[in-house]
Amino acid sequence: MQHGKNRFVVSFLAVPVLLYTVFVLVPYLGAMAISLTRWSGTSTLDKIQFRGLNNFIKIWSDEQFWNALKHNGIILLTQPIIIIGLGLLFAALFTQNLRGAKFFRIVFFFPQVMSVIIVAVLWSFIFHPLMGLVNGALNFIFSIFGSSWPKFPWLGDTGTVLGACIAVAIWQAVGFYMVLFVSGMQGIPDEYYEAAKIDGANSAKQFFSITIPLLWETIRTAIVFLAIGGMDMYAYVTGLTNGSGGPSRAADVLSTFMYEQAFGGGNNSNPFGYGTAIGVVLLILILGLSILSQRLTQREVLEY
Amino acid sequence: MANQNLNRRKFLRVTAIGGGAAALAACAAPAAAPAPAAPAAPAAPAATEAPKPTEAPAAATEAPKPTEAPAAAAPAMDMPFPMDDAAKNPLGIGADPIDGVFFSGGFGHAYIEYAGKLVEAAHPGVKAGVKPIQKVKEELQPRLVEGNPPDVIDNSGAGEFNTTDLVNDGQLMDLTELMEAASWDTPGVKFKDTLFPGSQAGRVYDGKQMGVNIAYTVSAMWYSKPWLETNKITIPDTWEGFLGLCETIKKDGKQAPWTYQGKYPYYMWGIVLNQLMYKAAGNAAIVSIDNLEPNAWKNADVLRAVQDMHQLWDKGYILEGTAGLTHTESQAEWLKGKAAFIPCGTWLENEMKEQTPKDFAMTATGIPGYKDGKGDISAIAAGGGETFVVFAKGKNPKGGMEFLRAQLSRSSAKWFAENVSSIMPVKGVTDLKASAGVTSAIAIVEKAGTNIIEFKLPDWYSSFGKELEQRTGELLTGKMKPEEFVDALQKKADEIAKDPDIKKFTRTA
Repeated sequence: MQHGKNRFVVSFLAVPVLLYTVFVLVPYLGAMAISLTRWSGTSTLDKIQFRGLNNFIKIWSDEQFWNALKHNGIILLTQPIIIIGLGLLFAALFTQNLRGAKFFRIVFFFPQVMSVIIVAVLWSFIFHPLMGLVNGALNFIFSIFGSSWPKFPWLGDTGTVLGACIAVAIWQAVGFYMVLFVSGMQGIPDEYYEAAKIDGANSAKQFFSITIPLLWETIRTAIVFLAIGGMDMYAYVTGLTNGSGGPSRAADVLSTFMYEQAFGGGNNSNPFGYGTAIGVVLLILILGLSILSQRLTQREVLEY
Repeated sequence: MANQNLNRRKFLRVTAIGGGAAALAACAAPAAAPAPAAPAAPAAPAATEAPKPTEAPAAATEAPKPTEAPAAAAPAMDMPFPMDDAAKNPLGIGADPIDGVFFSGGFGHAYIEYAGKLVEAAHPGVKAGVKPIQKVKEELQPRLVEGNPPDVIDNSGAGEFNTTDLVNDGQLMDLTELMEAASWDTPGVKFKDTLFPGSQAGRVYDGKQMGVNIAYTVSAMWYSKPWLETNKITIPDTWEGFLGLCETIKKDGKQAPWTYQGKYPYYMWGIVLNQLMYKAAGNAAIVSIDNLEPNAWKNADVLRAVQDMHQLWDKGYILEGTAGLTHTESQAEWLKGKAAFIPCGTWLENEMKEQTPKDFAMTATGIPGYKDGKGDISAIAAGGGETFVVFAKGKNPKGGMEFLRAQLSRSSAKWFAENVSSIMPVKGVTDLKASAGVTSAIAIVEKAGTNIIEFKLPDWYSSFGKELEQRTGELLTGKMKPEEFVDALQKKADEIAKDPDIKKFTRTA
């Protein structure tokens, strides 16, 4: 009986494990090998030269790498907080049986189902300096006070381009986390709130003392997702800028930097070896970050 | 969309396609609409390499018209020009199919299918494959690594291979045999002698022809002819005079004097700065820059050119918001009259075909220069682009060369001119009416004679091009001063010169 069960389990797992090995593990190991070499990426394999840790030493002293990493850092510090904050806020609002709550839930979720590139194209129209919605709205507000707003190039200015990319990513992601939190909140029994109300707790107290602790596992998941997402951002930055990280690389992130080095002609010395080494560094950073965010958010799980 | 039950998924899919189509409409104009335009061969220009023609930047640009039905555009063949017996099969190709993979961008790929049909007509039984793609490098890289490349490709677009890298890797076929072969349909003339002089020089590596350029572009600044005439403006031939004109336009207040392809500042270094540098500092100064000589960027005349371009920003002549526009967006604003001048190559006309007002008559003029400059005042950057290469390790490299022989035939050049409004560097294409844009571009090249401007550094070392791109953007948005600009570029040039892993190139003139 036990033996039969094992065979059953193995037969189910064999195919996914095989696929995972062939399409995930083997390429990872291949990338780690290539990251130790000098290779143009366009020659046959016999032209690869072994270079040891040379690429990683170069990365350490590469200003562009630190520039990109800094931007990832900014994204990590802002994006998860804002997304989770807004997601919780909307989730709390839309579970209050307000009129139109269902409608707004759908509206807020809508951006999530669009592809990132479509979203980026839409927003590049919204940020358009001459006819975009942002400048138009600001100009309207300023005109009420008898002044005017310039035709500001949001995506063409080093000071705003990263913020613009982050804003678009937030816009798209909030709906998803809202839905995640709504489903979590709906699982919390009403009795807790009723009991709290009887004890005289106001809505804010209820939110922080009941909702957040009972939702904590969901929020943790959100943090890990968002941390990984914050290390990526490739499609947003590429879609909203010229593909090389915006003006003065002011929105360059590790993924766009890696692409530029490996494929975009940003490196004549060793495009593929170096690009792959950046990929390996990115892998290590994301792994570390996931573990770290799990550890830091670990609390006693409340059962209910 | 006759479907009544438009469920949610479908609806989303449709909106997604709609969004995508809007993005497409913003970029490449379709290549198939007929519009007569074409040159007689311009007066022998010297070797050069213009800023990449169809390589309009960024993901958005390489989008071809997906619905375009090229089969309809390229009709069945009857040879429009005579074909000598000697020209029927000089390369001795067999009956093997030809594996062709081609970038399909601003020019579309119907003109390539036309050449494929020529090949098939001349060699019954041979199948000339034409597979259109966008991301050339991403898609073909695995085949190259595997040692199973196609026979012939159009290596262009934002995702192109660096041709230099392919040469260094020994991937490319030496095309000497093709250059020496009889031409397709110019009886009694060798293939190489039917091409514009100098148009192929950019693809010669160590004395060997490693690729051919199939488009000829002129890099100029553009205006609307009726606008010029109604405002009774003459464009000064000195940069100083031109800045004076900009001042007048600015004071007039109706439009900005200048705009450029904001998010892609390379139009400004590849069309304006390179030509100002040549005109101020002379060819020798650019040669030493190209050769990575120490302090070549710190030349006082080079700095003068940088300062002069910087004036456009400094004096407020650039259309407000330009830095946030893509190439097609800025070109659209220019077509609306928001700005008087824009720099671009001769592909501009085809790229903006759908958005150009009827009586706009876009016209090209050279970049103004200096009376006291070290380079000729009417020199111009013009040359071949859209490089096709043959792979040495392909199954049928001779077939690949045969394809190129047909692609650069008179018939093909005529079809290209009439259907894509662009110029192939092929001599003796007759019976064509040219548009104002093409006519003016040819006039500039004729006036320039042998004074053709070259600037090879960004082409030889793409990482330098990236740096130049960033710095030019900073210069033109006031984030960087001209002195800092030349310092930064000198630093990058020194870095490349010092790197033993980068193969170096030099030129003497």
